[in-house]
Amino acid sequence: METAVYNSPIQGMLKAISFRRVHVFILPILILVGSGWGQDWKAAEEQLAKKIVPVTGPATFTLTVSNQPSLGGSGIGNVDDIRHGLVTQLAALGAHVVDSGQADTAVKVSLSDNLQEYVWVAEIHPSAKTGSATGGMIVMVSLPKPTTRLIQAEAGMVMHKASLWSQQDQILDVAIIERDREERPVHLLVLDTHGVAFYRLQDGAWKSEQNLPITHSQPWPRDLRGRLELQKDRLFDAYLPGVYCRSTAMPPWSIHCSEGDDSWPIGTSMFRLNAAFVSSRNYFSGALLPGVGKQASTAPFYSAAAVPGAQSTTWLFTGIDDQMHVLDGDTDRIEPTLEWGSDMASVHSGCRSGWQVLATKGGDGPTDTVRAFEFPAPGGITPDPEIQVQGRITALWSESGEAGAIAVVHFSETGGYEAFRLTLTCGR
Amino acid sequence: MKLSALLLLAAVSTGLSAHTWASTRPHYGGTLRVAVRSAHMPLDPADSSQPDSPAARSLSHLMFDTLVILDARGQPQPALATSWRAEPGNQRWQFSIRRGVTYQDGTVVGPDAVAASLRRGDPTWKVMATNDAVVIECSLPTPNLPAVLALTRYGIAKRSAGKVTGSGPFAISSWDPDKKLSLKARDDYWGGRAFLDAIEVEFGKSFRELMIMLDLGKAEVVEVPPDQLRLATVQGRRVESSAPAELMALVFRHDRSTADVDAALDEKLRRAFSLSIDRNSINNVLLQGGSVPTGALLPDWMTGYAFVFPTSSDMLQAQLLRGEVPQAPAWTLGYDASDSLEKVIGERIALNASEAGLRLQPTNSGVSDVRLVRVPLATTDGRIALSSLATRLELPVPKFSDDSAYSLYVAENTLLQSQRAIPLLYLRNVVGLSPQVRGWAEDPDGEWRLENVWIEVKKP
Repeated sequence: METAVYNSPIQGMLKAISFRRVHVFILPILILVGSGWGQDWKAAEEQLAKKIVPVTGPATFTLTVSNQPSLGGSGIGNVDDIRHGLVTQLAALGAHVVDSGQADTAVKVSLSDNLQEYVWVAEIHPSAKTGSATGGMIVMVSLPKPTTRLIQAEAGMVMHKASLWSQQDQILDVAIIERDREERPVHLLVLDTHGVAFYRLQDGAWKSEQNLPITHSQPWPRDLRGRLELQKDRLFDAYLPGVYCRSTAMPPWSIHCSEGDDSWPIGTSMFRLNAAFVSSRNYFSGALLPGVGKQASTAPFYSAAAVPGAQSTTWLFTGIDDQMHVLDGDTDRIEPTLEWGSDMASVHSGCRSGWQVLATKGGDGPTDTVRAFEFPAPGGITPDPEIQVQGRITALWSESGEAGAIAVVHFSETGGYEAFRLTLTCGR
Repeated sequence: MKLSALLLLAAVSTGLSAHTWASTRPHYGGTLRVAVRSAHMPLDPADSSQPDSPAARSLSHLMFDTLVILDARGQPQPALATSWRAEPGNQRWQFSIRRGVTYQDGTVVGPDAVAASLRRGDPTWKVMATNDAVVIECSLPTPNLPAVLALTRYGIAKRSAGKVTGSGPFAISSWDPDKKLSLKARDDYWGGRAFLDAIEVEFGKSFRELMIMLDLGKAEVVEVPPDQLRLATVQGRRVESSAPAELMALVFRHDRSTADVDAALDEKLRRAFSLSIDRNSINNVLLQGGSVPTGALLPDWMTGYAFVFPTSSDMLQAQLLRGEVPQAPAWTLGYDASDSLEKVIGERIALNASEAGLRLQPTNSGVSDVRLVRVPLATTDGRIALSSLATRLELPVPKFSDDSAYSLYVAENTLLQSQRAIPLLYLRNVVGLSPQVRGWAEDPDGEWRLENVWIEVKKP
């Protein structure tokens, strides 16, 4: 049977890593998401010009360009730039665009879209040449939308947000295994629903090095979670519900996976703590290994964060009862959460007390927020900086080495996922 | 912007998203109680005896898997089929079947069972089972067969002794036809257990009953008519609405007259009729903003070009066109008498037509010259949706030269050129939700994703 169509997992869209500082206190975060701003429209301009000219012939005409996004939002692209590009392409084909007055034909270009594509529609008037129900001749071009959304977060002196990776399949965790001299990642591990993938930055582009599939006999839970942890005696461990995998120590890389309810690491390399994950659900059972002081368990929870103090380390747990449980080795008390969500992670910034907790904000809307907290803080738990993302955070883990946290965002509009690294720095 | 419009805007969710977990992760457990207006819902996905509706499709997908599902962008994704390929010509397709999937009764969903189910879905197909796949031979090239197989009527079902069983995330606990359906989550579902333990659905409720059930906490999800969206919002209820997902259109019983002279006159009358209809007024006043005026058969979010088909009325032009026809026949306008919305809109259309000098007599009995119809979108795939609409509106089968947006436009424009149908409005699907309902998501075509819903437990 000849192959004409074959569906395979949508390939991850490789994207250059961009590091930009997020000035969360002073300037509003500029997030241009889901639009085509910044996209190169030259090919579309050329295609549309080639369709317009055969209709208009050598006549002079006026040209208007407007945004007509069918799915809401600010628009498809910068109309001035696209009009300029179109005029250039039309002129190259011998057409003459005039501002107004002497033209006997008007061309109206609308920049629209549908679920999958950008659609540019040119309505050519007068309608003497029609045959259309619309009263004018219609030509159009369409081009696929990117499967991921561009985030350009600018400004920021407290919370830094660096895009790491984006793809269509759900990302569960990302680990940076090598950086260049300027501390930019050049070698990544990406854990997704299929396994672990290696990517290396070469000549400015990310290239897939290797894929290590992970098999499982039981269905994944609906709200799938997973974690990567870099190790000293081997490259990494991967944790998924009911599946534990460990890599080899040296290349060529391979993994050995086993099924069972292994406990997952929920702390950092400095403050280690493991917890039993309920393999058919999306939370930890509450059993802790080795425990927090005398405490070997807490209420079932979604995530945990270590807050080191002068005398001892306090652990915070976001319970499935929507309460925050605080374990100090002796007591398990409940604290107000300031509408925390289910996910949090510890970050070692060196600022103030040295450690902060990053937490998602609770809610059910289309956007999400990650906020940094000091705990304890004078007068209670106080929120510090925050950043917003135009999607929902689906994972937030302390990074191996605890200098940052890895967050994964799901964009409902495109269905794609993006992982980024969050760090905190001092001063303004 | 008026306050009511702002409120409406605030209430209207885009409905263009697939599920996504909230920052508060989903909680397991609980029973979701759903109440709907429809009094009839066939359990068998291949049973087309009842009108299609997003609610019926949503419930069917809870019980019956399809080989393929469409994602948020309308692209086919694996479900019971893990992969597929076509031979050149796109008439013969092979779908590899996911292993280890079982029906509710524990029997395996193998290629033989899938083939038997698909034959029921479309008797014109030749469906054969192999070791781990099914092969489908269509009578015509079908390049979008994977998307076709995502339609509810191709849900994979096992039929024996008058009972129908599926492999979906929920199993049927009890079924009191046309009254109540009880579903229980399957722990062994291949796509992951649903968050809810159970779903109970009550059928045949009036709008008043639905609102009372929601207000008294006897249901967490209820259907709301689109014209009640604004009121429900103003009254402080939690409502969610889809993208425009149900076409309301006028359909002529006959094509234009074929005789040259009569055809020209007929064309003018139909144009005059279309121009006389004030869609914006119908939407703003009668539907309270619960729809989007349309001159296209497909909604803009699906095509990206719907705006090129005009929607504004032009009474002067309508009167001029009417004046060019010496004698205009009186048309009867049919509508569903049980649908109060159709009744008031039909009367308004008749009033608009009379201003243009056209005689239109609303009737709710017998055969009519023009019918007012409501047709839900069958899918998020533009070509399948247009073909399905054409079938429902008794229009010619659309032809597509390729898979471009322009090809879709040409096919749609050809249907509209026939003047057999006059698109009026695209209605939103609206639901009222209790505050405890979380993770609510709808497809753009209005289908609910109940398998991803969860119930929030109130904090003590």
